[in-house]
Amino acid sequence: MNLSQELLASMYRKMMKIRKFEQRVSELFAQGMVPGFVHLYIGEEATAVGVCENLKDTDYITSTHRGHGHLIAKGGELKYMMAELFGRKTGYCKGKGGSMHIADAKIGILGANGIVGAGLPISVGSGLSARMRGTDQVTVCFFGDGASNQGTFHEAMNMASIWRLPVIFVCENNLYGISMRQDRHQAIADISDRAQAYGFPGITVDGNDVLAVYEVAHEAVKRAREGAGPTLIECKTYRWRGHFEGDPTTYRAKEELEEWMAKDPIPRFARYLEENGYASRKELEEIERSVESEVQQAIDFAEKSDLPDEADAVTDVYSDLVEEGRAR
Amino acid sequence: MQIKMREVAATATSPSMGEYMKSIGIIANPASGKDIRRLVAHATIIDNNEKVNIVKRIILSAQELGVKEIYIMPDTFNIGFKARDDLASARQLAVKVYILDMQITASLKDTIRATEILQQLDVGCIISLGGDGTNRAIAKALQQTPLLPISTGTNNVYPDVIEGTVAGIAAAVAASEIFDLKDICIKNKRIEILNEGGLLDIALVDAVICNETFVGARAVWSCETISDIIVTKSRPNAIGFSSVPGYIDVIEESDDFGGWVKLGHPGETVVAPIAPGVVRPVPVKSMFRLELDRPYRHCAKQNSMIALDGEREIPLKKSCTVDFVVTRNGPYQLNVEKTLRAALKTKFFRKVCI
Ligand SMILES: Cc1ncc(C[n+]2csc(CCOP(=O)(O)OP(=O)(O)O)c2C)c(N)n1
Ligand SMILES: [Mg+2]
Repeated sequence: MNLSQELLASMYRKMMKIRKFEQRVSELFAQGMVPGFVHLYIGEEATAVGVCENLKDTDYITSTHRGHGHLIAKGGELKYMMAELFGRKTGYCKGKGGSMHIADAKIGILGANGIVGAGLPISVGSGLSARMRGTDQVTVCFFGDGASNQGTFHEAMNMASIWRLPVIFVCENNLYGISMRQDRHQAIADISDRAQAYGFPGITVDGNDVLAVYEVAHEAVKRAREGAGPTLIECKTYRWRGHFEGDPTTYRAKEELEEWMAKDPIPRFARYLEENGYASRKELEEIERSVESEVQQAIDFAEKSDLPDEADAVTDVYSDLVEEGRAR
Repeated sequence: MQIKMREVAATATSPSMGEYMKSIGIIANPASGKDIRRLVAHATIIDNNEKVNIVKRIILSAQELGVKEIYIMPDTFNIGFKARDDLASARQLAVKVYILDMQITASLKDTIRATEILQQLDVGCIISLGGDGTNRAIAKALQQTPLLPISTGTNNVYPDVIEGTVAGIAAAVAASEIFDLKDICIKNKRIEILNEGGLLDIALVDAVICNETFVGARAVWSCETISDIIVTKSRPNAIGFSSVPGYIDVIEESDDFGGWVKLGHPGETVVAPIAPGVVRPVPVKSMFRLELDRPYRHCAKQNSMIALDGEREIPLKKSCTVDFVVTRNGPYQLNVEKTLRAALKTKFFRKVCI
């Protein structure tokens, strides 16, 4: 498979965007600028980008509590994301949702989700909807190793397989569910093995190699669009930060983190681009600088935005139908 | 774990099972059989629980034939631990099973390291569970110890599909050291890829040059980007790129030559199974034989990639040159049928009942 220079550059820019966004969020959280919880995606960038570069705006994704990377990879706008993290009126959810509720239906982002495993049934519904409407849209469902033990995972895999839905299940196996190491929460090492039980292909891929992820996702998306049904892709990766910002990470060894930091997906991809003449060091640095300024602009936008009005505390919380029902 | 080197005891003139016996080693690759070929080629799925079962069957038959010690490579799925625990719980374990004390890196490095340790332990036979890639890693470190490869991968030309029970018996016969390696093994060929005289890497069956620039998902399943296929052997009943020359000129493992196929036009089109479920017309420009031990040079016309035994491995920069040499430096591969027949002739399997 040969990829265009344009696509490769876009992949690099998006990975860098996620990295820089998350690094700044980490700093801002420590400074008390970001209320609520944030779960950062640093170290896992190649997975979201390798998958989402295969999608069109009309395709869907469902995300998780660790969703910033997925949203940026699918085309989410940094300024509205940052404003949401800051709890501002201009944010994706008018400042009422925070990190774990960001959605942008216009570009197929069906939402981050604070409930572990809750994106899975949503992706099946979205896949079923595309089927019933007769479109070629596909849905990518991101979820973690921890989520793969939820009942929703098995129910979603089962329904997607019997109906051959255009859903690509992407399991980000980052070795931990909070503090619980994978070998203590499940008796298998490769979550892709679970696809066999539902009768569709399961593949394990190096989640820190954006090109490997891209290639596997490319085939899975093609398969889904052609009507051949779902695929489970397990991406082996690692989160560098704690489970949430502020987590002291006493449950894992320093050496383990160092080992994975040495497998940083970004310099690895940069090396490939340089060695094959797709980009010079200077051009890559240029991308990095422009991404930094884009993130800064998003922060400025968030800071300048107003907090929601008190009067709006109860608007957009329940749908009008519920409100009407109450009134009756 | 202490490394034991046992002295070779004198073999009896009429040998039978249970007399002198070396230990055996098992390398089971937990990562084989999970790559993109399940998506693009409907390839075989052997999950890790089945590998545990195969290891159990090897242990059960080897212990019955008199093997006293079995060493197993540790891995992320704990294949060895699980097999040992299951047999111990079922009260079926009579042999000592040791898991090698080594760090797991979850890469082919584990296979290479385990091969080295097993040789230091002087095992009489190594059984591998994996595909061509697993055995290629073993072959990098293996010297004289016979290798019995069981296929649990995808696109396998090197390992055979062998029942674990039978493999355990054959390994025990090899570990008895009653038989000369040349009578029960075939000494494999291999392709050595050299760069400025230094060994870059090896392949056991095929090396393929393709116009791809990244390793990515590793497997190669389409012939559009392929320019050259270099093989140690080629048979029409093989699967993968070595089947292409296999449909033109059969080269056996025992033949003292290899083959090189150049793809492209003008030429003939050969229909061949280049991957499981993928039978394609392949345009062949020419094919020629490669003398053993003679280097054949390739100069890259563009940035490209060398795939070894089906997996993209070595990036080649434009105008870079490498030499391909087919040698007889591969492993001693145990021929199960020959081994069992040789043992049969010596009454190896007979017990005297009083
Ligand atoms: C239904 C439910 N149970 C428990 C939690 C608490 N919780 C939040 S994140 C998490 C772990 C998720 O692990 P994993 O799926 O591996 O995702 P990762 O955090 O590693 O990205 C848990 C248990 C929750 N949010 N929802
Ligand atoms: Mg996790």
